[in-house]
Amino acid sequence: MAQDVELSAIVPVCDLKEEQGELALEYLDVLRALGKNFELVFVLDGEHQKLRSHLERLAASEPEVRIIQLTRRFGEATALTAGLEHTTGDIVLTLPAYDQVEGGEIPRLVESMEKFDVAVGRRQRKGTEGHSGGFRRKAFHGLVAFVTGHRYRDLGCGMRALRRSVTDEIPMYGDLYRFIALLAARRGFRVVELDVTESSASHHGGYSARVYLARLLDILSIVFLVRFTKKPLRFFGMVGGVTFSVGSIFLFIVVVQRLFFDVALADRPALLLSSLLVVLGLQLFALGLLGELIIFTHARDMKEYTIDKIVN
Amino acid sequence: MDLSVVVPLFNEEESVGVLYESVRSVIDDLETEAEMIFIDDGSSDLTYTKASQIAERDRRLRVVKFRRNYGQTPAMAAGIDLAAGAIIVTMDGDLQNDPRDIPEFLEKIDEGFDIVVGWRFNRQDKLVSRKIPSRIANWIIGKVTGVPIKDNGCSLKAYRADVIKHVPLYSDMHRFIPAMASIAGARIAEIKVRHHARKFGESKYGLSRVYKVLLDLLTIKTIATFSARPLKWFAMLSAPFLLLSTVMIVWALTGLITYGDLSLPVAGTAVLLGALGIFLLFSGGLAELISSTGTFEVDRMPLLTAEELALSDRNRPEIDNAVEES
Repeated sequence: MAQDVELSAIVPVCDLKEEQGELALEYLDVLRALGKNFELVFVLDGEHQKLRSHLERLAASEPEVRIIQLTRRFGEATALTAGLEHTTGDIVLTLPAYDQVEGGEIPRLVESMEKFDVAVGRRQRKGTEGHSGGFRRKAFHGLVAFVTGHRYRDLGCGMRALRRSVTDEIPMYGDLYRFIALLAARRGFRVVELDVTESSASHHGGYSARVYLARLLDILSIVFLVRFTKKPLRFFGMVGGVTFSVGSIFLFIVVVQRLFFDVALADRPALLLSSLLVVLGLQLFALGLLGELIIFTHARDMKEYTIDKIVN
Repeated sequence: MDLSVVVPLFNEEESVGVLYESVRSVIDDLETEAEMIFIDDGSSDLTYTKASQIAERDRRLRVVKFRRNYGQTPAMAAGIDLAAGAIIVTMDGDLQNDPRDIPEFLEKIDEGFDIVVGWRFNRQDKLVSRKIPSRIANWIIGKVTGVPIKDNGCSLKAYRADVIKHVPLYSDMHRFIPAMASIAGARIAEIKVRHHARKFGESKYGLSRVYKVLLDLLTIKTIATFSARPLKWFAMLSAPFLLLSTVMIVWALTGLITYGDLSLPVAGTAVLLGALGIFLLFSGGLAELISSTGTFEVDRMPLLTAEELALSDRNRPEIDNAVEES
């Protein structure tokens, strides 16, 4: 393309149940109507034979369509990162590769980029999800709000618009891309949640329990990232200290009983348990010290602050 | 550039104009090349707009806008990172510090001190909520770090840039800069400064509770002591456990040999303690690795100040490089 790309739409194609080629045409129409220089990049994570040949045919006639093929399946985060590496547009749009959100919502997300740095979709449910799915979703977002202090209602929505400065600054390893709105807000970017209409073809019934278990682990890593990366010893020290104290008290009682009340130790698991707690407490404390040492010795490289503008 | 004046600002729209004027009048009188760096720490009022309007008229003023509020230490760290001056002066943006004290700080630096700390000897703040907790904190900080400074909380300080630029600054560390810098063998002076009652608004950076300061202090003290030789420190920590474990194992084995009866609790605890000792020892190894890959090496800190005497002022940047490359 002759002119600079303003808008890069990235579609990470991961494990699709069925390959939806017509979605590409829909996205293409909507994006073209925006009147910006855009590119529509499909990142194929793993082999998607049918979709690939379909897209190749499309790309032959539509210069905006690009295809990036990963050598094997790496997961959605890698697909997104690869998409980001191969695109240059200042506005990055991530789009779901299956019917999730009405394509017609794209213009509103792009427009909001004038005022915000990150816009995430929030699907208006149409009652397609089961009862338990809705409960799990609510519980998940409630938990996220509880541990991080940021309330979002639909982190799983695949349609997001971001400024390039956001994606440049925030690492997207693992499954953290889901939390990009949250991480961006913590860095001081302006984030907005937009109500979007769920695709009429969406037959998505909430995630399985196993997926939610994986998400719980994500929350754990978010908690560590958000809360304790600056002062690891405060956290580790606290947990370790409590463990150590409980163990010590227990141990003291056991030893006193042995010495003065002649309660035999041999048949008491209490001794082993209490010394185990003491040991664990000390180990946690040592880990906290190691964490603190990492921060201390790298503090000069890790900028704690983010600068918006500098005058002069 | 000779002098950089770094001022963090948080919701100081009323003060920023007066502040600029008073700092400017001081640096105009100095016969040195100076710059001002105002850091807007994510203010929600017009602080940034007002400051940047002034910056349009005066090229010597740089205004840095944070994307959100990060706190006083990161704001100062940003100013120090961006400062081009050989001497860096930091001060509060709430007009409680008086820029007219700056020349005195510069004199002290010229006398050969690396850090000059202000002492608000007639502090104009509330007694119970601010002055007394601060007294206690200062006394403890002095005892623990061995750097007896009367007023660690005073923001008006002057630093030699090559020293302060190598001191790690994060979280609420600005209070401990003198203590940290003393690891580097920095020569620290303390001078009395004027202190004015607050003219506008409330105190923006609330008083951090003393316990938080103490926790930070403990952390810094520990880290500063062991980060130079972490393996040694961890080894010493693990020694009593390994010793105790050995004694208990010998005891248990003796029992086994003499009476043919192994005392399970003793043997079990011994193994556990031994495991802890070994864990700590290996943690020390890991710490050594972290220390050696970090950019801040406590070992090399003294070089910043130690070699200064042997070299003339013009050569100082070379020391700078030597530390950064290593």
